[in-house]
Amino acid sequence: MRYLLALILMVPALAQQPEQPAKPAAPAAATPAQTEEKTESPVPAPAEDWLTGSVDFGYRWVSDAGNFQSYRSVVNLGQGPKLTGMDFTILDPQKRLFDRLDARAYGWGGDPYSTAHVDARKQGIYDFSFDYRNIAYFDALPSYSNPLAPAGFDEQAFDTHRRNTSFSLDLRPGKQIIPYLAFDRNSGYGHGIDTWVQDSNDEFAVPTLLRDSTNNYRAGVRIEWCNCFHLTLEVGGTTFKDDDLASYSGTNYGDNPVPLLGQTLVLNSLQQAYGIRGSSIYSKVLATASPFSWLNLYGQFLYSEPKTTVNYTDSATGNFALIGSLLFYSGQQNLGTGAANQPHTSANAGFEMRPFRRLRIVESWMTDRYHDAASPLTAEQILLTPKTLGPDLITAPNYTQTVNYNQQQTDVLFDLTSKLTLRGGYRYVWGDATVLAGQLSQSGPLASGQLSRNVGLAGLTFRPSQKLSVNLDYEGASSDRIYFRTSLNDYYKLRARARYQVAASLMLQANFQVLNNQNPNAAIQYNFGSRDNSLAVYWTPAGGKRISVMGEYDRSSLSSSIDYLGLFLSPAVSFYRENAHTASSTIDIALPGYAGLTPKFTAGGSLFISSGTRPSRYYQPLMRLSLPLQKRVSWNTEWKYYGYGEQFYLYEGFRAQVFMTGLRLTR
Amino acid sequence: MTALLRLVESTRRARRLPAVRGVVLLAMAALCTAASWGAQDKPAAPAPPPAATQPAEYVGSQTCQMCHEDLFNAFQKNPHQQVETGNKHGWATKACESCHGPGSKHADSASAADIRNPAKLKAAEADKICLTCHLNQPTNVGRINSSHARNQVSCTACHSIHANGPNGLVPRKQTDINKLCAGCHADIWASFQRPYKHRLPEGAMSCVDCHNPHGSFLPRLMQTVSANEPGCFKCHGDKRGPFTYEHPPVRLEGCTACHQPHGSANPRMLTRPEVRFVCLECHSNMPSTTPAATLGTIPPAIHDLRSPRFQNCNLCHQKVHGSYVSRDFLK
Repeated sequence: MRYLLALILMVPALAQQPEQPAKPAAPAAATPAQTEEKTESPVPAPAEDWLTGSVDFGYRWVSDAGNFQSYRSVVNLGQGPKLTGMDFTILDPQKRLFDRLDARAYGWGGDPYSTAHVDARKQGIYDFSFDYRNIAYFDALPSYSNPLAPAGFDEQAFDTHRRNTSFSLDLRPGKQIIPYLAFDRNSGYGHGIDTWVQDSNDEFAVPTLLRDSTNNYRAGVRIEWCNCFHLTLEVGGTTFKDDDLASYSGTNYGDNPVPLLGQTLVLNSLQQAYGIRGSSIYSKVLATASPFSWLNLYGQFLYSEPKTTVNYTDSATGNFALIGSLLFYSGQQNLGTGAANQPHTSANAGFEMRPFRRLRIVESWMTDRYHDAASPLTAEQILLTPKTLGPDLITAPNYTQTVNYNQQQTDVLFDLTSKLTLRGGYRYVWGDATVLAGQLSQSGPLASGQLSRNVGLAGLTFRPSQKLSVNLDYEGASSDRIYFRTSLNDYYKLRARARYQVAASLMLQANFQVLNNQNPNAAIQYNFGSRDNSLAVYWTPAGGKRISVMGEYDRSSLSSSIDYLGLFLSPAVSFYRENAHTASSTIDIALPGYAGLTPKFTAGGSLFISSGTRPSRYYQPLMRLSLPLQKRVSWNTEWKYYGYGEQFYLYEGFRAQVFMTGLRLTR
Repeated sequence: MTALLRLVESTRRARRLPAVRGVVLLAMAALCTAASWGAQDKPAAPAPPPAATQPAEYVGSQTCQMCHEDLFNAFQKNPHQQVETGNKHGWATKACESCHGPGSKHADSASAADIRNPAKLKAAEADKICLTCHLNQPTNVGRINSSHARNQVSCTACHSIHANGPNGLVPRKQTDINKLCAGCHADIWASFQRPYKHRLPEGAMSCVDCHNPHGSFLPRLMQTVSANEPGCFKCHGDKRGPFTYEHPPVRLEGCTACHQPHGSANPRMLTRPEVRFVCLECHSNMPSTTPAATLGTIPPAIHDLRSPRFQNCNLCHQKVHGSYVSRDFLK
């Protein structure tokens, strides 16, 4: 990727040489005379630089206090030289390889989020896009491991990166027939600490190497004909592999320090390897048509068939026990094979009909179907002593699963006046699922569920003037059958949104949202309610030339209670409460200028404060100063503070000062 | 008719929810009114225009340029410039009037009242202008049924037709895209100020990585990948499977059954601060006189939930998204 970035950086330099002889004349001033002249003959595009762009680079210092693992789990910005941003545009007036090339890259130099993007296009010939992202995922939080584990707070900790690379190429863009090709790759790589579980008695934290990748290839053609018909045909395929590894050698007592019948359980060695391979083919057909001026039709058919094959092995030595038979043994080997095949079919179709000028009827139908066939096989060989075989346990539950989901929806939109549109509708959702039941199921290996839900829809859009717009959206439902205890059952959702342009420089935006879900079943007693109110203010006097202010405040509350089986399967109630205040603001001020240059000061940031079940606070204030040194060079300095604290998990708090200074070069 | 019967059935059920009943009745009333008003609205025959109001004529973009030099120049780099220079849509040399309508009257009077301004039209009418050319395109497959279309969010709410520079009609940089979406969805943007979230404020991702603003057959305008898989798997391919032991909620309810993808105060963007509550709220087969009719109710084995080693279920059941070798998601 570094080579790619270097290549991107070199493109302007390489493109510069042939451009010099054809350098356009200096931009013409827009005098009235010239304007008149332009009106008499076709006007060429205004003269401009063939290359425009900017580069930001500098050095960042990080001073942190508190829990460094938490800091890395939440923020993860590092210290050192950074290329924080770069973007440039090349316009080729001779339009040889491309008409225009846009490139940008952010967060290079060890930052946890590195991205690069390139767009190139030549009108009517091709449209090319490349995108790369490398996002770090670090997670090591003591509250998510066993604090009593002898090895410490290191279970379920990960230091990985997920990388996404995408290429897409459209040929003949804007024409009636547009072939296209695309490739995407998603991969993960890194280290972590997983647990190796031995018969539910003990789990041993072991280091792991995580490696997976998915390649996605697709090609298709879009056919557009006289704006009355469109068809997209696409085929594609994926390949997948997962080669996670875990190994350990030493003395690991796991996280169960209590001896079992006087014997201490211990892991002395482990070799574990996954060899998962997957592939899929898929196809996509999209179509739209407008046979009449009052009727629009659309439909799509999507099919994919992913498959995986499994090769798994692990070998462990130590002192273990089968708690069911109180058998102590010194080692075990597991071998797993199997395959899964999951044809997945989706289709939807609908229309928009306008029988009268003020009336629109929108009808849609959708189905989504998984049929999953799996044939796993695992064999576990117990070693009583290193050379004495014990019981051999084989598990091979071949089974099939089915998930069907269907939805039909009708919406009617009516323009009551030119400023008010009303909407009413109805949605019916139904489906069924047959899935593998839990290990302790008393009703056979498979479990079945059904879904049936009636939903009423309503809404309005009110725009009495250009300055004010109000939108209301309501959804209320009653369900006969649902899949899960926490699923939407008898619920209503209301969302209101208003925007008011108080003055040319001042705009207000308000949102209100409520969701209430109830499941009064005696065995569930689920009550869920959430509210969210937000207000945003945007103030840009004189078009923001001197000062611009943005402020947002959000107040949210969430309340949930549901019966569940708690300690030793005794009934209990799970309560969750969260009352949160979130505010963010930005103030941009253009400072008094010098030598025709205008420095700029920015202050703002965000804060989040919540109370309830897991009270926490998270502050992110920032200040930024941009001092132009020349017309094309400015010196940027930024200070940010990250403060995180939890009332019940004090040891997970951190405070970090992040200071960065650097230059911005523009052209 | 089936839909109407279901609507009546829905109304009957909604008696338990007074608010639902009221709204459904209101919607039915609006529907009836709509049909009658709409019928009255249709004129029998268009009246002939008076001599003084003869239809305006097309005058060409260069006439527009005389007064709107800045817009004209900006338009030279606009993707819609091909309307001006190409013949595909039949508006060559008249790109301005392809959206604003014939401009002869406006050119004569210089009055804003004599020209069509899509920004001042209501959403459906403004969209109709855009759809003159863009009606039958891939983006339109989900548009009709998208929440944006239902809520009268017009094309120009996101696409700036006269915009200039590298962004073209719509922002391309992640931070600019997020700013545009947050302009309406301020409540959602507030979620991203929480400590555990997807990396949108940092500019590593944008809203359109997960949502297709034009519409999708999945709820919440979710993007799809590999034809019909939820867009989450574009970045989290290791969670795709198919696993030999699937965890049903992943397929039936999606990631949001356990995660708050926009942002959460809880680590790992979980819906609950402790893992055990995420799990046990479903895995609880409470005794009941009526069938709960839910999946996943099988209670867990007897774990001593007082002990920290059983409070984070995924310490042992670590392959909770699906496992290739363990029915209990242990490995």
